[in-house]
Amino acid sequence: MIRQTLRDRFAHDITNRGVTAWLVSACLFAFYLILYFTEWFTPVARALHLGSKWTLYGTLYTLAILTGGGFMLRRYAHNRYQVIRTICVMCSQVLFAYSLPQFLVFLRQPEYYFSYLWPLKLDYLNPNYLFHLPLPFILWSMLGSFLLVPVLGIFFGKRWYCSWVCGCGGLANTFGEPWRHLSSKSTKSWKFERVSIYTVLGLAIVLTALMFVSYAAGGANPRLAAFTVNYQTWYGLIVASMLAGVVGVGLYPINGTRVWCRFFCPMAALLGIVQKAGRYRITVKDDMCISCGLCSKYCEMGIDVRSYAQSNESFTRASCVGCGLCAEVCPRGVLRLENVTRQARQMQLVQIRGIQADSECRGATMESI
Amino acid sequence: MNYAIVGNGVAGITAALDLRQRDPRAEITVISAESDYFFSRTALMYSFMDRLTRRDLEPYERGVYDAQRIRRVRGWAQDLDAKSCTLTLDNGQTFSWDRLLLATGSRPRRPEWQGLDHARSGLVNFVSLQDLDACEAAVRRGQRAVVVGGGLIGIELVECLRWAGMEVTFLIREPWYWPVALSEAESAMVIEHMRHHGVNVVAGEVVATVETDSHGAVTAVSTAQGSRYECSTLGVSIGVEPALDWLRNVSTPPRLGRGIVVDAGFHTSLPGVFAAGDCAELQLPGSAPIVEQIWYSAKRQGRLAARSMLGERIQYAPPVFFNSSKFFEIEYTTVGRFPNSIPARGQISEGTLVFYFRYPGQDISIRIAGQGGAVQAFNMLGSRWDHNQFERWIEQRRSLDDVMDRLHQAQFDVEFGRLDLAPARTAFKQWRAANPASVEAPA
Repeated sequence: MIRQTLRDRFAHDITNRGVTAWLVSACLFAFYLILYFTEWFTPVARALHLGSKWTLYGTLYTLAILTGGGFMLRRYAHNRYQVIRTICVMCSQVLFAYSLPQFLVFLRQPEYYFSYLWPLKLDYLNPNYLFHLPLPFILWSMLGSFLLVPVLGIFFGKRWYCSWVCGCGGLANTFGEPWRHLSSKSTKSWKFERVSIYTVLGLAIVLTALMFVSYAAGGANPRLAAFTVNYQTWYGLIVASMLAGVVGVGLYPINGTRVWCRFFCPMAALLGIVQKAGRYRITVKDDMCISCGLCSKYCEMGIDVRSYAQSNESFTRASCVGCGLCAEVCPRGVLRLENVTRQARQMQLVQIRGIQADSECRGATMESI
Repeated sequence: MNYAIVGNGVAGITAALDLRQRDPRAEITVISAESDYFFSRTALMYSFMDRLTRRDLEPYERGVYDAQRIRRVRGWAQDLDAKSCTLTLDNGQTFSWDRLLLATGSRPRRPEWQGLDHARSGLVNFVSLQDLDACEAAVRRGQRAVVVGGGLIGIELVECLRWAGMEVTFLIREPWYWPVALSEAESAMVIEHMRHHGVNVVAGEVVATVETDSHGAVTAVSTAQGSRYECSTLGVSIGVEPALDWLRNVSTPPRLGRGIVVDAGFHTSLPGVFAAGDCAELQLPGSAPIVEQIWYSAKRQGRLAARSMLGERIQYAPPVFFNSSKFFEIEYTTVGRFPNSIPARGQISEGTLVFYFRYPGQDISIRIAGQGGAVQAFNMLGSRWDHNQFERWIEQRRSLDDVMDRLHQAQFDVEFGRLDLAPARTAFKQWRAANPASVEAPA
């Protein structure tokens, strides 16, 4: 590699698992461990008139998204999909995940995050919490998870949530942008992902069911109640704190930005299933791929996009969050994100099969056939 | 059946994978002197610019070759004996084969400049993996570089050297950049874009002499027009030619022209020996010899050559031409052949219409040519298009007016980023009404 200036060398090091990258990773780990397991940030938050350490965290998180978002907007100013998506995810963070909850508290309402839904936020379908909320919040929780998620998922794929609304995706696609290429593309990672993500989804569903059963039983079954509380605590510690926070963000400089989203997020798992059944797909332009591999390299979900592109295969992968960077970096404009209706897809399939057969023998006539 | 393939470029590897797919019992050996694993030649520049690692250049996971039972052998093929059906490498290894595919690709054309033979260092190109090594070793931030040659590899080199912080002069022999593919107006747009990126573009100058120091390091080039350009790095990319020199002195040389001569089934003059990709020269009845030298044609030929090797009767004829590229940030799609390679005004043959429109203030242009009432070629810069759609329209012999009406069907821009076709359509209508004769529309 040619690295001349100190600045280039630093940029390369920090984005390619160099010493500085490990340092940043260690700092992020330390930050999250301190945040979750100590009260060291509480006096800092008080000194800044931010109330609690969680408000301080929210402020830092929002600032990271806004700064990274600004970087995104400058870098991809020529790509309107990226511009609109980035503005959307920045607004979602500022409004739904930062200002609105605080404003609700100010109005003596529950601190509620409209941009988070079950199963990402299990509390929002926890009867012990849910049924103490005012009615509009209950409705939003229910409709959000059972109507909004599947309907929008069918029409637009999981991207409407994962890369347009969600705060985890928001941080990944703004602050985390310089590290997106570090996601592992190996078959091994893919096999792990399929097991891990559906395991967490299973755990989340079982826990929610338990919470309802335990709630319905009231005090009739103290052992069940105790088990549920225990389960909930462990889930909160391992999944919500460790995997989503400490590991999810801490590994940004080492394993890319979507470790949580790709391997563990139950919401992503659920949306992925919906996506497979829906309209969203990445359309591949036949015979135009030069196998350069930029699409695979810059896929934060570790999808080997090139393998589809070079074999003329339009595809829908459950893990794809529709960030659109593969289409952006493709030097030959081979890829396009699309929402295709079922009929159009069928028709195109017929057409594509025709074209594929045609392109396979493009330019040739087979006398033997 | 025992298949040997010389060359692990896109033609060779495509052929190998296709052979495996169609014949599970075949023995397949791929021989390469360049690299252990197939890599994307077209992506060399991205590796140089730190956007990909060397490993990222490989389109297939390394395990694929073992899984597909494709044996890889490193070495230069030195002798070919079609009588005994053997191939000998420079290390003495000998292979016997039942079918042999020559897919040795291209090598850079070497110019006849005075002093070039003395140059030992500072010369760069982007054809092989070794060129990438040499290029990475040769660049020096802040120093001067000259790139000679107005084609696709030339502009890749220019972009890379600029990225590496060099002062780059781009010397183009022709009156404008890449006249075989771009019109003067299109070229002007690309040159303007290059200048915006700090490139010193000089057209219409022919290099005559290369100057070197006592160690053989390049120090300057002089042109026949009397200019002298100092440089520590010299990119020479004046095109490529089939790599076939090694075949001239083998025991049984196949028939050679510009490339290895093959028929429509990719058979060379030797029994059991085939050739495909950049190194092959197609001699089809009733047409001039064809050497196709782009990624897409190599992939296509490799696939079909494999089928021919398996005994299918293949009659290859190049389909409607298409290609793509990217000039710094300007994406480029072309389909079909323009009637004249240099369509200067007034030289276009009777009955030819060429519509050209550049979006004011933007690096976006479209050029569409028709002949005898039917659309013939597209040159699209700065926006994305589905070349398959264009091909179909050319095959269907649609009229220019019809194509302009349905142009949106071929758009492939990102969501929310679709090029607004209204200005182009308005310009087209005005041009059609005012000037139905065969001239280019004013920019």
